[in-house]
Amino acid sequence: MMANLKLMSMRTRMLTLICLLAATPCWSRVLLRWSQPSIPAPATMGVTELVVTWDNAELITSARRRGYRVYAEVPVGKPADLAHSTAKNSLAGIIFNPGDAQPREVDEELGQLRSAYPHLPVLLLNPKANQPQMKGQLVIKKDGILQVTSPTAQPWIDSNLALVRFDQAFRPVQAPLYEFHWDVSDSQQPEGSPAPEDYALAVAEAGAFHVDLVLGLPPALQADLAQNSPAAQAVLIQIRRYLAFAARGEKNAAEPEANVGVITDSYQKSYEPTNLFARHNIPFAVLNASDLKPQSLERFNLVVVFATPDDATIKMLVDFASKGGVVVVVDAQGPYPWQSTQRVPAGEYSVAYATGKGRIIELQGQVTDPGTFAQDVRRLLDQDKDKLALSLWNALTVVAVSYRSTGGGKLVELVNYAEEPISVQVRIQGSFSSIRYETPEQVCCESLTATQRGAFTEFVVPSLRIAGRVHLAGRKPADHKAEGNENHAPPFCVLHCSALSAAAPFREPGAQERFQEFLPHVRRHLYRPREQGNLCVPL
Amino acid sequence: MHWTKPLAAIVLCASAVLASAQASGQPPQAPFVHKKKYVMGTVFAIVAYGESVAQLSNAIDEALQEVVRLDDVMSDYKAESALSRLNHSSHSHPEPVPPDLYRVIGEALQYSRLSGGKFDVTVGPLVNLWKAAIRGGQPPSPAAEEKVRSCVGYQKVELLPPDRVQFHSPCTQIDLGSIGKGYALDQAAAVLRAHGISHALLDAGGSSLVAMGAPPGQTGWLVHLRDPSNQVNPVVMLSDNSVSTSEQTPPSLLSPEAAGHIIDPDNGAPLRTTYAVSAVAATGTASDALSTTMLLLGPERGKQLVKDLLGVAAVWVASDGKSELASSGPQIRVNGGAVRPGASGQAGSSPLR
Repeated sequence: MMANLKLMSMRTRMLTLICLLAATPCWSRVLLRWSQPSIPAPATMGVTELVVTWDNAELITSARRRGYRVYAEVPVGKPADLAHSTAKNSLAGIIFNPGDAQPREVDEELGQLRSAYPHLPVLLLNPKANQPQMKGQLVIKKDGILQVTSPTAQPWIDSNLALVRFDQAFRPVQAPLYEFHWDVSDSQQPEGSPAPEDYALAVAEAGAFHVDLVLGLPPALQADLAQNSPAAQAVLIQIRRYLAFAARGEKNAAEPEANVGVITDSYQKSYEPTNLFARHNIPFAVLNASDLKPQSLERFNLVVVFATPDDATIKMLVDFASKGGVVVVVDAQGPYPWQSTQRVPAGEYSVAYATGKGRIIELQGQVTDPGTFAQDVRRLLDQDKDKLALSLWNALTVVAVSYRSTGGGKLVELVNYAEEPISVQVRIQGSFSSIRYETPEQVCCESLTATQRGAFTEFVVPSLRIAGRVHLAGRKPADHKAEGNENHAPPFCVLHCSALSAAAPFREPGAQERFQEFLPHVRRHLYRPREQGNLCVPL
Repeated sequence: MHWTKPLAAIVLCASAVLASAQASGQPPQAPFVHKKKYVMGTVFAIVAYGESVAQLSNAIDEALQEVVRLDDVMSDYKAESALSRLNHSSHSHPEPVPPDLYRVIGEALQYSRLSGGKFDVTVGPLVNLWKAAIRGGQPPSPAAEEKVRSCVGYQKVELLPPDRVQFHSPCTQIDLGSIGKGYALDQAAAVLRAHGISHALLDAGGSSLVAMGAPPGQTGWLVHLRDPSNQVNPVVMLSDNSVSTSEQTPPSLLSPEAAGHIIDPDNGAPLRTTYAVSAVAATGTASDALSTTMLLLGPERGKQLVKDLLGVAAVWVASDGKSELASSGPQIRVNGGAVRPGASGQAGSSPLR
């Protein structure tokens, strides 16, 4: 009884929290990093949130007076020092930059900050993102060396999708928040600054992945913006167009679709292969091996296991394969129960076993060639085409993510890292009553003509320069019922915990720990918005 | 088949010290510009030295635009390209084609004859057959393979001067994927020369490079070549010549079959080799065609071919570290030996004796 009361109490608190936070969009936001003493008004800049180093009280105060919501960035080792900052009371939140600190140190300092500032959202920054860009083979380094960087003739895409998926799996209480450093070694722009298209691409990527970005502007550009220079204003116009595009994202977009589940306990072992999954537009999700539940695998067609599976995981994998799934166990150490089943042909470095309707493939050793591995996974998925959520053609420079939306609809976010218009052919699972396309350069929306091929819809995106968004509306109510539990979802699509500690119910001691216990209940309903009255809330 | 060699692990590793204090011909701090563009399914990049950034930027833009123009001519992926039209319509009658297409097909046929048919631009239907079959999890049936092989053969392509092409088989198709990027680099280099630029390096996705002159203070552009063993470290100093690398698609890690993108016309199946081959020649067209040819021929026959040509060098490096070298001019260094620009023949000249 007490447990029930506690649960009800938590539910009430959750709804209170949701109501408190309902005003903030949950799909993506961009925070500008600022260091110059003066700054134009938020209306001019097109953003309302700034990141300022914690010890620059003067700038924090002046930006606050200008009307910005200011987040103080605190590096590792400095949480206690923030208490001495005279500007701490005017902050909208704290961003903790862990630098190269070890996970335990990060958790400790993050905990200190959250305890010390229970009224403030404390966000963890991932400072190790890549500048989104398309790379050629020749790269000019600052020391004047020209060298080739990639062994592939295909364009190399530096994308942050894999990093985002890892952060979602291993830091689920907040939306991924990342930052990168500009690579301007071969920039043709004045003073080696990024091109306007580069800013646009960075904003477009965060918007497409529905995550948060701290966007750094070079000091010279900041100063020029403060002085209202025409050249800086021209850059700003381009950035603002993309900021606005990212901000008007589909509010009902829910869970990103995934055919492949990546079970891992180690960033090092599994990051590069998953990075190549992103690069090859293989829809995937990362699963923390320690959080695995029997239902975790239900939505996938193929599972790649980088963690050493324990008994419970082995049972889940066997069940998954028995129902027709394909399991790839990387660096399989065995023995495993499936090894007593029939062996089937596999690759030069792998052994495969028929397991029920599916199969389990053991790869000997680690993935030494992530590109080949990703293409192998793609081929395995291609052999079961009827299940592939999304396929692209003429899209070697494009990364796309499809999201389920309300009413059986879908949303496809596209990012073109080549920064030049291309036409992309898309095949997506489902049948839709309308397909509309929008870009930052074009007022919403252009209707696209589609062809229905069995269970799939095919259409062509006519011109994708940097960012594009396709809205696919569900065909009929009957389709919604086929979506199962979606209609029974609670009135929110939670989980993005930036403002968690700001919520009154969580100020009392132990509240956050109880929230962690409650999290699985919330996550079950995560990304499952109701058709009407939907609240999309950042936590 | 796309322009790109999508499954190929082809790498060229080019390095050149740009900012040396010892100038030779160019001032040490000569302006340079580096630009890249996605075209032909890969990234074309150009770095060039010149008198001003504005001059260089304009010239490089035009050179990259020339590659775009040639893609519209030579792509077999774009339905409206001149090559696609040719592939659809010249089975029944001679088809007039643009000068670039006529020229590059002519060059390709020369290398086909030179290699005894190992290099063959009509092999595309076999590549597509294998790709489609492997996607379905099985190699193609002997019957399907036999049927497609009847479409293949460079002898089925006839050039009728001054500008017409005719196929002598109802299913012959031309795929310029193994020569077109090299040709595009040559034409882009010509654009740079027309702008007065003589120090530049042009790159087509890492698989082909064309060097014009040398960086300031240097005798050439130092290029690290593909080494699947990581033991041999082959390098070449390029100056007014070109290098290209070919390598078969690496074997699948998880599946029993995987079609490589390089088909051996002799048996109609994907080439099985652990070698990566880099070929140096006077032009991008030649090095691009020769790298594929040398891979198909293997070191024994390939070395003989190198001796029969002018200003050509080739290196075969296997995944186990075994390597073979051959040269009729340019020097390729392995395992840390001295490297200098070799006699590469006159820039732009054909390696054919």
